[in-house]
Amino acid sequence: MDIAGLALFIQTILSATWRLATPMIYASVGEVFTERSGVLNIGLEGFMLLGAFAGFAATFFTNDLALGILSAIACGLLFGLLFAFFTVTIKANQIVVGAAFNLIGLGLTGFLYRAWFINKAQGIKAFGPINIPVLGQIPFLGPILFQHNILVYSTVALVLLAGFVLYKTAFGLAVRSVGEHPSAADTAGLSVTIIRYAGVLIGTTLTALGGAYLTLAHTNQFVEGITTGRGFIALAVVVFGRWSPAGAFWASLLFGLFYALQLRLQAIANITIPYQLLQALPYAMTLLTLILMRGRAISPKALGTPYQKSA
Amino acid sequence: MKQRVLLYVFTVLLLTAMLVACAGQPVTPTPAPQEKPFKVGLLLPGSANDQGWNQIAYDAFKRIEKELGAEMSYVELEQSPASFEKAFRDFASQGYQMILGHGFEFQDPALAVAKDYPNTFFFISSSRIFAGNVIGLNTDSSQPFYLMGVIAAKMGKGAGLVGGMEIPPISEAFTGFINGARSVDPNFPVSVTYIGNFTDAAAAKEAALSMIAQGADFVIPNADVAGLGVYQAVAETGPHIATFGAFGDFTDKAPQNVVGNYIADYGQGIINMAKAIKEGTFKPTSNVEFGLKDKDVMWLTFNDKAARPVPEDVRKLVEEVTAKIAAGEINTLAPVQ
Amino acid sequence: MIAILSPIAAIALALAISAILLLASGYSPARAYSVMWNGAFGDLRTFSEVLIKATPLILIGSGLAVAFRCSIWNIGAEGQFYAGAVGATLMGILVTSLPPALMVPLVLLVGMAFGTLWGMLAGYLRVRFNASEIVTTIMLNYIAIVGTSYLVTGPMIDPAGGKYPQTARIVEAAVLPRFLPPTRLHIGFIIALLMAFLLYLVIFKTSIGYAIRAVGINPEAARYAGIHVERNILLAMAISGGTAGLAGAIEIAGISFRLYQQISPGYGFEGIAVALLANNHPLGVIASGILFGALRSGAEVMQISAKVPSVLVFVIQGLVILCVVAFGLYRTHSYRALRAEKERG
Repeated sequence: MDIAGLALFIQTILSATWRLATPMIYASVGEVFTERSGVLNIGLEGFMLLGAFAGFAATFFTNDLALGILSAIACGLLFGLLFAFFTVTIKANQIVVGAAFNLIGLGLTGFLYRAWFINKAQGIKAFGPINIPVLGQIPFLGPILFQHNILVYSTVALVLLAGFVLYKTAFGLAVRSVGEHPSAADTAGLSVTIIRYAGVLIGTTLTALGGAYLTLAHTNQFVEGITTGRGFIALAVVVFGRWSPAGAFWASLLFGLFYALQLRLQAIANITIPYQLLQALPYAMTLLTLILMRGRAISPKALGTPYQKSA
Repeated sequence: MKQRVLLYVFTVLLLTAMLVACAGQPVTPTPAPQEKPFKVGLLLPGSANDQGWNQIAYDAFKRIEKELGAEMSYVELEQSPASFEKAFRDFASQGYQMILGHGFEFQDPALAVAKDYPNTFFFISSSRIFAGNVIGLNTDSSQPFYLMGVIAAKMGKGAGLVGGMEIPPISEAFTGFINGARSVDPNFPVSVTYIGNFTDAAAAKEAALSMIAQGADFVIPNADVAGLGVYQAVAETGPHIATFGAFGDFTDKAPQNVVGNYIADYGQGIINMAKAIKEGTFKPTSNVEFGLKDKDVMWLTFNDKAARPVPEDVRKLVEEVTAKIAAGEINTLAPVQ
Repeated sequence: MIAILSPIAAIALALAISAILLLASGYSPARAYSVMWNGAFGDLRTFSEVLIKATPLILIGSGLAVAFRCSIWNIGAEGQFYAGAVGATLMGILVTSLPPALMVPLVLLVGMAFGTLWGMLAGYLRVRFNASEIVTTIMLNYIAIVGTSYLVTGPMIDPAGGKYPQTARIVEAAVLPRFLPPTRLHIGFIIALLMAFLLYLVIFKTSIGYAIRAVGINPEAARYAGIHVERNILLAMAISGGTAGLAGAIEIAGISFRLYQQISPGYGFEGIAVALLANNHPLGVIASGILFGALRSGAEVMQISAKVPSVLVFVIQGLVILCVVAFGLYRTHSYRALRAEKERG
């Protein structure tokens, strides 16, 4: 491979990276808030599917992408409220509730898709790529960074905003303290319940948006099970990114990179690695990283523990 | 405690309401059967409206329902071996006379059930089995894909194939494509990517985009519903990229780019057998192989409105090659050099 | 009394909510449910199919019940099931000259061993590197599934199978005997019942079980009381991995007789729900396993006869879990282990 070929090869992979990472960025940045407030939501896959379906269905019937996005947000909020009610108010086991939402997300979207769309599975007009003037024309960097759709670009704003909120605002401080020392936060006059509701809702809403990205921007269709495990990967990404929005952002990009690399390497005829080996790469890398991070993967102290006011 | 009691009360109320609602529904008396109804059952390994593999079988059975007045039912099973044999029995024990397991993985379970129901015919898609009342129906997709390969090599600079999982119906089609392309130009570059599932439309799209970036101007999916991502990729890239519809007409997914469609009419292939079964005259003598020789079962259409329509001379060549394949003069499945 | 009534009321409530969904989509809930009931309990054959579907769920669920009692969140039963299926298939293909009396135990034990090792790998990463088992087991699921795909399309592909992604059929001697002809109910179901009972004894009647539960309730206190926390975490992963592996082996030797790319329709994830529904009690798992088996089995007939999409069953299952939760079976029970470990350092 000559230099130009190599540059093209790298450019192809990197330009796919960000697009593939976007749903994981949304879901994992959201889940950072949820987990930082002390709640673990393993139901991300279900929420992502719900968002993907809600966004697609609304856009399909109204032809309006904005309504699709709103519908995904509403769906994330609604089911998020239910999740928060169970995990925060009833103080149920968070793994149990998360597992239930995975089942519900898969079943409900599959059921409604058949009920509403059988034999009329049309695509919608999705968010198209926006080629940023001048910047988009830069050789090599242009296609990698400046020829994406609006939801891809928005991840930068999302991660900056999320970092600001989490580390520089009173609300962020509240979220973090509720996740670390809920009883101390309670004593200091914070409502653990309200803040955890907020943490959960931020998570489920962003996750639903990540799902909607798949059906409204990355593709223009809802397909049963279109998330294909991305919700579970997002859970790993949160740990990988060490519970910070920026960490989740970069970790998502790393997963996107593996994904793109896997799809690209297969297509090279004279490399005969079994494609399954390449597919296993992101998962194996996650394990390896966890091993290398040993001990430093410190989770929020109260993660997964419902807060019980001591009498 | 109070909350819990309330919940119980609520449940009891709801259940009572449900019971009342159910009881209130008129019981439709089962009409005495005048004659034995013709019942056909379908076992699908995925979703019936996947616009690909499962849909062709679903459409075929819908046609049997409509044209032969059959009672048609289907069940969507996940890849669950434990369910396959049971589902065959569920159908057979209810008197279904014709049951199709839509995939090679249904072969073992069908064999296990078939001996208990000698008067039921069990068909297995993409299988070459023939054992009494178990009959393989193989659709040789390598033949139409061979034609696509010929066209791509005549018109384009390189081709990319996006597959779902590496299973014979897909890998054989790709072998056919490569053989077809190489018959025109032995050095024609063809790259193949499997996304590893049939649901990840986003991955299929990215695979297609990366093939395009590397110089492919013919990109063709064979990944069921995930393949829709490929049509989106070519449509977004521009009219200079061409593709084919696989198993149906996908022109509306990318009107500029779809230069032709490989149409598979499974219904046409099996309706005569279904009719014979209904009339009690079906006497199978071998498994069934559908190929280009069956002109009304699989064929290639061209899209004249595409940005790069297939030129006349190439169409003529395709016609010649089709005749040769149908006559058995070309082996589309020959090992790729 | 409440312990039995609650789940029943919860199931009823879940069915009631699903009925609303059915009504709203234009189906008749009465018809759907009656067909579903008949599809599960209509006759001996259908009921035997329920038990066949319940077999892996009971095995996986009872093992996970032990792990969850230890506050070890093994999400990886799916991968451990695959590992067991691979191990069992290897034996069933490679060992050809043993009589059934030796072959069947060999196949099942090797499958179990594969599952145990796959589970303990996550346990080791947790104990040695403090890597959250939630994340590692999810990753190991994917690796096992992708690895199986590689094996059945590559090294283990059936040489006589015409390139179909499946292994050769296991030898006849490895096939589990059936005991209720003409149904295909096989001794795997009996094994599952015995395993659930055994794990019940272990967890509630032995000092090993006491230690596991003690670690689950409060690892620091357990450590203070002289219990080796790490060893118990490994043990919990080994037990839950082993039962999942056994379930995979039984699926091969009892049902499918060869390995496919997708050998499990999500038993490993369903097993999580089965364990939690039974409040992590191995004997309760028998009931919840049969319930989930009946839901699945009935749902298939529901699609055939009432034309209701069978995916509805996932909604019902999810709602059953939420309803059980709503009735307050689970209260604060959770991540104390993680938290305590954190405080440790």
